[in-house]
Amino acid sequence: MAASDKCSTKEKLLAFLDDLEVLARELIEMLALSRNQKLPQPGEESQILELLIHRDGEFQELMKLAFDQGKVHHEMQLLEKEVEKRDNDIQQLQKQLKEAEHILATAVYQAKEKLKSIEKARKGAVSSEEIIKYAHRISASNAVCAPLTWVPGDPRRPYPTDLEMRSGLLGQMSNLPSNGVNGHLPGDALAAGRLPDVLTPQYPWQPNDVSMNMLPPNHSNDFMLEPPGHNKENEDDVEVMSTDSSSSSSDSD
Amino acid sequence: MATGVRAVDEQEDEDGEEDEEEDYSFLPLVHDIIKSMDKDSQDVHQELNELKNKFQEMRRLVSTMPGIDRSPEQQQQQLQSLREQVRTKNQLLQKYKNLCMLEIPKE
Repeated sequence: MAASDKCSTKEKLLAFLDDLEVLARELIEMLALSRNQKLPQPGEESQILELLIHRDGEFQELMKLAFDQGKVHHEMQLLEKEVEKRDNDIQQLQKQLKEAEHILATAVYQAKEKLKSIEKARKGAVSSEEIIKYAHRISASNAVCAPLTWVPGDPRRPYPTDLEMRSGLLGQMSNLPSNGVNGHLPGDALAAGRLPDVLTPQYPWQPNDVSMNMLPPNHSNDFMLEPPGHNKENEDDVEVMSTDSSSSSSDSD
Repeated sequence: MATGVRAVDEQEDEDGEEDEEEDYSFLPLVHDIIKSMDKDSQDVHQELNELKNKFQEMRRLVSTMPGIDRSPEQQQQQLQSLREQVRTKNQLLQKYKNLCMLEIPKE
């Protein structure tokens, strides 16, 4: 019984068809034989006929069941299509969620980095007054044009000098020696604070104390130690730049 | 009778349930054969051929019928499984659809 339940409907139908064919052939042969031999065997014939009728009824029941299974099969095909569609939807959604996760992870990482920067900035906070003071200092010594009081010999320059650049943050970042070379002279001479007499420039403005006092203390020696030729060029540059006040002032305005 | 079998196929294609008992029964043919044998008619050979053809037609029909490769119980189990799958996947999609994307997980 359990084995027959496991059989497919197709196998059962084919088995029933075989049975029906055998029974029909048996019945017809038996009838033909009995008719030819004139030997009536009504019991056996009627038994086979009853079996044939019973099997035929079962076959038709099974055919009905087979058609019902066909309808169920159709329904299953529709469900399979729906499952496939849902699978596609879920896969699409999963893909979108993965993308969103990636974007959010990047955003969270960037936000954490920003928070770190903010924290770092808070720890090393610089007062705004100090920044403004420094800005004033820069604008006073590194302006785009010479101040009105500038005269030839004034060591102030409208641009950062080499030493200033080296002592600044950029110079420190690139590990440039701030006390090695000032761009014009070897460091030992600078460190010694003096030059051989041959190289010592003789400038007419050197005795001018007013101009020397206008520089920051660490800059005062730099301009004194510059070779005459170079300083002469600088002087010319400065003069040219200082005379070009119209364009610079218009820029600063 | 062969036309009758063809008509059976066409009907089966249309709605498949009309006169099934009439169409898929072999008894009318057997009855005709027995009657012809009683009458000693010459049609008995033709009717025997028709019966044979009908068996062949029915075997062909059975082999092409969809959804009968498994027993009704197995088919029902698979149907239930598919329904369950559709229901689960629908629930999952609905859950994702109603999911609040900006919900902050509580720590």
